[in-house]
Amino acid sequence: MSGARRIGAVAWLELLRLFRSRIAITLLLVVPALQVLLFGYAIRPTEGAITVAIAASAPADAAAVARSLDRTPHLQLVRRDGKPGTAEAAVRAHQALVGIELPERASFANPTAGIHPARIIVDTSNAVLTAGTVPAIEAAYWRALAEREGVADTGPGYRIEQLYNPDARADWTFLPALIGVTMMISMIMLGTLSLAREREAGTWEALLSLPLSSAEILIGKLAPYVVIGSAQGGLVLAVGIGLFGLPARGDVAALILLLPLFAGAHLALGVAIAARAATQLAALQGAVAFYLPAMLLSGFLYPFETLPRWAQALGQIFPLTHFIRAARGVLLRGDGGRVVALEAWPILAFLAVALGVALLAQRRRLS
Amino acid sequence: MPLVAVKGLGKRFAGRDAVRAVTLTVRSGEIVGLVGANGGGKTTTLRMLAGLLHPDRGTGTVMGAPIAAIRTRARRQIGYMGQRTALYPELSVAETLRFHAAVHGVPSASARTAEVIESYGLGPVVATRCATLSGGWARRVQFAATVLARPKLLLLDEPTAGLDVATRRDLWNWMQKLAADGCGIVISTHDLAEAERCPAILLFHGGAAHPQTTPAAVAASVGAASLEAAVLQIADGGMA
Repeated sequence: MSGARRIGAVAWLELLRLFRSRIAITLLLVVPALQVLLFGYAIRPTEGAITVAIAASAPADAAAVARSLDRTPHLQLVRRDGKPGTAEAAVRAHQALVGIELPERASFANPTAGIHPARIIVDTSNAVLTAGTVPAIEAAYWRALAEREGVADTGPGYRIEQLYNPDARADWTFLPALIGVTMMISMIMLGTLSLAREREAGTWEALLSLPLSSAEILIGKLAPYVVIGSAQGGLVLAVGIGLFGLPARGDVAALILLLPLFAGAHLALGVAIAARAATQLAALQGAVAFYLPAMLLSGFLYPFETLPRWAQALGQIFPLTHFIRAARGVLLRGDGGRVVALEAWPILAFLAVALGVALLAQRRRLS
Repeated sequence: MPLVAVKGLGKRFAGRDAVRAVTLTVRSGEIVGLVGANGGGKTTTLRMLAGLLHPDRGTGTVMGAPIAAIRTRARRQIGYMGQRTALYPELSVAETLRFHAAVHGVPSASARTAEVIESYGLGPVVATRCATLSGGWARRVQFAATVLARPKLLLLDEPTAGLDVATRRDLWNWMQKLAADGCGIVISTHDLAEAERCPAILLFHGGAAHPQTTPAAVAASVGAASLEAAVLQIADGGMA
């Protein structure tokens, strides 16, 4: 009972400090709001317009290709009447991302012309942007060929069914993961700052001299943040469903239960980092050194499946990897509590290790 | 039973002795001064007595707990005030006192907090955020928070350093009153005028301490006329 009273006193102290700290409020409110706006409305890595220039000696050839490409999404013709060589020049001058140079037609005067293939020049300096361009142009080519030869309707055909995210919306891909990313950044930073600020202000020594055990200090300091972090994650989840129409087909309650566990894992990590760092700046550097690889290797910015094996193995360490799987599973694929529970175990293990390290670091007191 | 009874206390940092062979006894109602130059080992000794640092050598007890394992129960009876002002800048003075009362489980906390505010003259700043307090007020508030739970042992690390004369006088009056009420006090200082107000002192020099004795006995041990002369003589010639 007295232990609970002492924990309550530390939690109350931490709450007062939190709500009176501009940095903390910024981390909790402004950073997630900015991320939701950016990833919800601005970031479209697979939906950018690919600009195309076509060059041919015969305008009719250029028009035929243009008609084929017009039916291909995300391709935007910027030039279709250029002389041979101008399409490539447009790409090199950064006026188009793709240039199509059509060969000259055969004629009596030039009988060998036309046996050369068309040249397609692609600016791959941003490979992510143009990754889907070549397959799209190839598809347009084969479709045009099939139509010209009259084979378009001879087969049984096919119908592609895109499950879970039928319009391939980028915001639907990002937002489930964004719940985890915003929580991860806020919780690591707040966990780190909570301890680092105390040490720099000299209050850490005074706190340690009070009749509080290491566990009471740690639990008291982290408890308010777990509640606030979970509320923050819940808010991003609500915005995702309410504003961006995430389908939320699965067990949303199970996902909500995962939020405090996920928040606690990163808070404990933040405290552990700060306990080992000499200054507030060093602690913040340690926090950034953790969450940057987490964002890269968790499947948030790049598909997890495209990572090399060693990177995937490393990615399994991060709670964010498991949270993203659970969140996309619940919100898009309709997964139930069992799938969430499977992803919760690694997060729980991470929490246990981080808490252990944080406790050990505190037990060393001022040594 | 003494509140503090430690023998041969030692602590090393980075292969260097910060404190060696400190033997100290503090009884109820006694004020013991840890006297010496900066870096002499006073703060490290106080931190070991408060359970903030584990000693590398030495035995003994603090409030009945082994010096190497001062846990929550013993710390309930110890009030420790470090050298730096350590108040949460976001909290008001009243909130600071309430926090200390809650952590210690002080019975009738509101009444005791009001009593402390009255006793230590904190009325004018009770609603003020600690971030805006002057050095003197901050020290008064910290002292009040430290003694709020009526500790049996007070460990004060240079509590009067950098304070104005009036605040210094008030702090000494409060300490003497607490000692008269039975509180054992260990205070570190490099101010020799203050050291002479302590009935017993431990003179630190280069991490080692003279045996616990009176200021007059330290002076007599090196044939000096005053404590100041004795300290200078010891500093110039090494340990007597």
